[in-house]
Amino acid sequence: MKKENNRGFLMFAHNNSEIDYFKLAVINSLLIQKHLKIKNITVVTDPHSLKHGEKTLGKKLIKKAINNIIVIEKDKKFKQSNLRLYKDTSHSAKTLPFYNVNRCDAYDISPYDETILIDADYLIFSDTLNHCWDHNNELMMNWKYQDIMYERKDPTLKRLHDMGITMYWATVVYFRKTQYVKDFFNCVKHVRNNQQYYRDIYKWPGTLYRNDYSFSIAAHMMSGFIDKGIPQLPTTLYKSFDTDDIHKAVDDKTLIMFLEKPKAPGDFMMTKWDSMDLHVMNKWAINRASEELLEYVK
Amino acid sequence: MSTRLNKALEFANYRTTLNNQQAQLKAKIQSLLSYSINGGTFTIDVTLITFCKQLIDEGQQSVVLLDIYNNPIKVDIEPFYEEIRSRYFEVTNEYYAEYEKLRKARKVHKILGLDEKGE
Repeated sequence: MKKENNRGFLMFAHNNSEIDYFKLAVINSLLIQKHLKIKNITVVTDPHSLKHGEKTLGKKLIKKAINNIIVIEKDKKFKQSNLRLYKDTSHSAKTLPFYNVNRCDAYDISPYDETILIDADYLIFSDTLNHCWDHNNELMMNWKYQDIMYERKDPTLKRLHDMGITMYWATVVYFRKTQYVKDFFNCVKHVRNNQQYYRDIYKWPGTLYRNDYSFSIAAHMMSGFIDKGIPQLPTTLYKSFDTDDIHKAVDDKTLIMFLEKPKAPGDFMMTKWDSMDLHVMNKWAINRASEELLEYVK
Repeated sequence: MSTRLNKALEFANYRTTLNNQQAQLKAKIQSLLSYSINGGTFTIDVTLITFCKQLIDEGQQSVVLLDIYNNPIKVDIEPFYEEIRSRYFEVTNEYYAEYEKLRKARKVHKILGLDEKGE
């Protein structure tokens, strides 16, 4: 089989009462096809999210966007207990369930030899992730990120704890199927299954379970307890935050955005984001721009 | 608010937007100056181009170079050189065009490529 046929993208999309992650995954799949020319896209979802997607987007569009849908049942207990504060700019905040428990199963779920695991809200506007394929490094993820409001700095996002290990972002992860990577994901699962133990040792803040934490801990352990032991992706991780907003989508690779000023919460400056992949943390903002984006990529 | 103060605030806003947009443009160019081959990734810059040209002039054909991860990557130097050289000029020409466009934009909406209504 050709190498290209065994490469693909993997996303997890579980809706909650407000945020349509499945729709984000559909849009992102179409963006992946457009900019990276990759057809192998697997989305892991649950029956409710899929049914809602079929009703609002139509089966035809979903089929066009995603060639492999894996439906799993949600762990209801986890769903009810893992609550997160979502913001739609500083003006509106809501506490909602955050279902992210199965991301550490990515290795077992992925049908590909080479996989790029991304968040559904990591919008693909360029072909830079194509640099990852066939790479010498079998596992790559970023610890460095760049806020697209360049003046804004948040030191709390650098480490799990002030005196703790470096935080890796599980937003984008490239992996090949090798024994080392299998062990890495087993380690992530171990952290997920023994949260209290690892929370005490690594002192991650709050009660929320985040994959960024479990992937960071696994990265630390699997590097022989060395900081920053797993290599970074050959691309920069750009992020906008939940205090920012999208004004409009200009085309299939350009967004006009409102970015909150660091010294004036609730006040914004504008920016044009063009031809670079972007993690958009304000999910409502993507949902509002989703119709425009869909029109460009359909 | 006085007209003078209004103008000053408007200009401050313009400068902030311009600085951010220039930083973004630089980042975009940097990502375009990345080249992956044979399992390694290289940043295309003047040093790499010059080094490759020197290796060709010395009659080398297949060489090992260190990529951004300091991994050794074996490359055929001539096609590699041709590729990075052509990419370098393609990207820097684009950078020049975009940079000039930004430099000439004197209003926030012009920096963003919008009309006065923000459309």
